Amino acid sequence: MDNLFAPSDVSWTPVSPQLASVRRVSSAITYGVVAVALLLGLGLTVGWVWGVLALVVVAAAFVWSWVLIGRNQRSWKYAERDDELMVSHGVLFRELIVVPYGRMQFVDVTAGPLERAYGIATVELHTATPATDAKIPGLHPDEASRLRDRLSALGQAQAWGL
Amino acid sequence: MTEPVGARLHPLTPFVKGWGYFVGGGLILVNNESLRSNLEIAGIGLLGVLIGGILLGALSWWFTKWQLTDDAIRVDSGFLFRRTRIIRFDRIQAIDVAQPFVARIFGMAELRMDVAGGGKSDGKLSYFRYAEAGELRTLLLVRAKGEQVAEQQLAQPEPEALLVVPTSRLLGATLLSSTVIGSAGALIWLIVATMVLDFHIGLFAGLPLLLGVVQPIWKQVVGNHGFTLSQTDHGLRTKRGLIDVQRQTIPPGRVQGLLITEPLIWRLLGWSRVELDIAGVAGKDEGDDELQGAQLLPVGERAEVAGVLARVLPGFNLDAIQLQRAPERAKWLRPIGWRYLSYGADDQVFVTTSGWVSRRTSIVLHHKTQSVRLAQGPLQRKLNLADVHIDTPLGPTNAVALHRDANEAAWLTGAQANQARVARQAIETTRPHES
Repeated sequence: MDNLFAPSDVSWTPVSPQLASVRRVSSAITYGVVAVALLLGLGLTVGWVWGVLALVVVAAAFVWSWVLIGRNQRSWKYAERDDELMVSHGVLFRELIVVPYGRMQFVDVTAGPLERAYGIATVELHTATPATDAKIPGLHPDEASRLRDRLSALGQAQAWGL
Repeated sequence: MTEPVGARLHPLTPFVKGWGYFVGGGLILVNNESLRSNLEIAGIGLLGVLIGGILLGALSWWFTKWQLTDDAIRVDSGFLFRRTRIIRFDRIQAIDVAQPFVARIFGMAELRMDVAGGGKSDGKLSYFRYAEAGELRTLLLVRAKGEQVAEQQLAQPEPEALLVVPTSRLLGATLLSSTVIGSAGALIWLIVATMVLDFHIGLFAGLPLLLGVVQPIWKQVVGNHGFTLSQTDHGLRTKRGLIDVQRQTIPPGRVQGLLITEPLIWRLLGWSRVELDIAGVAGKDEGDDELQGAQLLPVGERAEVAGVLARVLPGFNLDAIQLQRAPERAKWLRPIGWRYLSYGADDQVFVTTSGWVSRRTSIVLHHKTQSVRLAQGPLQRKLNLADVHIDTPLGPTNAVALHRDANEAAWLTGAQANQARVARQAIETTRPHES
């Protein structure tokens, strides 16, 4: 099953586990805010028992998301072939994206404050259609710049026009 | 700052552009109760509006200049905030000569240039005399295509029409479309319910329904009135419209895909609609959520559709393509529609079909493929199915081979990526100068 979305005839590069850390921190913040809001909201209006119950539910959801984030992070991988970039990701909804270098319009490298703190960046490849969605999160900044330079060089060399 | 050189547009431009402003100003003044009693103030006010409008329009006209440089058309405009726009010839995807209603009265026309990635108003230049606009369009087309043809090539005579869509068929096709039938049915039910059954829903609900009946008819019958397709040296050209005559040229090599739509009732009559994906044209119509490509044929019979397809894609025969149906287990996800899901390919195009009420056949060209995606959801995984998306630039065509056997889909993904490369290389060797 697995090799459908990650053919074994190419060498796949996994993304940094830091991606999971970043996502866990941001999920912790979201769940934390929700938990506090529910605890206070329910506690002050309905009763503290309900508030604590909601807290338990949120905590369980957070643990579940912790596991899912880990699985999702492990699912992200990419491969640079001679003529195209391949990106594979997803656990429940799986996707394999194949983008010929020559189709590239521009490359974005982005890193939010949290990502920077954990030393990762996202490389996104844009083609003439927004449907392409070739995004690789969780790259080491050096790897991200290397990929960016390589992709733009290859895009230049193999440019196909519109 | 150096004063830009170049030619000005037609002197009547401010009036044609601002007629709505004048009419609006006049209406407001006439309708205003307090002013109506005092005609003197109304007169002065109207005069003020008129003079102000003419002044502003004249200033904007005075400061707008266009010129052709070696490789681009340059437009300078604005008197407070100067703006220079340079549109390179090789970035122009298509050029239309359009005549909005008022402009037509004065025998004027505007030039609409479609630029890849540009918005609707980015490449508009208005107004010219009609003949002048035609000449300029020919000139720009020659430049855009990179041919070293002399500038003085005059506007070509109106080319012979390949086909004209009769208005009766346009009307019939619109009346038989699902939107109109649905809205009309609901409207009749509403009227009957209100009148006979004394069931007061209020006729307000009828307003959107009425709109649902009238709007498509208006759009199709008036907008596509006298739809004419003709062949010129610069590509296929369409001409349509009753009030606002629109012309569009489809340069060969810019076509990315085609979409053939056959709504339920049309299918019985053998009618279908053909739309084109052209770089730079998608989403041009304002107020439309749906992405609209260039209309190649608003409604045509089977033979016409085949003829049009052969024009756009020489050597292409839709019937010759072996379509592979989706496996039967796809019925768990598409109880009825799975029978109509299929895909096929030859060395030029990739074809998918879908839809059991309104059948859509998407045709995309291999060498325009932007990326290939293989996707699978949890239910599909249980059934060992997967989707293959062939992404082409924005437009109505959406080639997705839905619910294929997973192994086949994985193979198809790789094969399509290869096919796209092979097709592109083939194109490059035969047409080395294309974009």
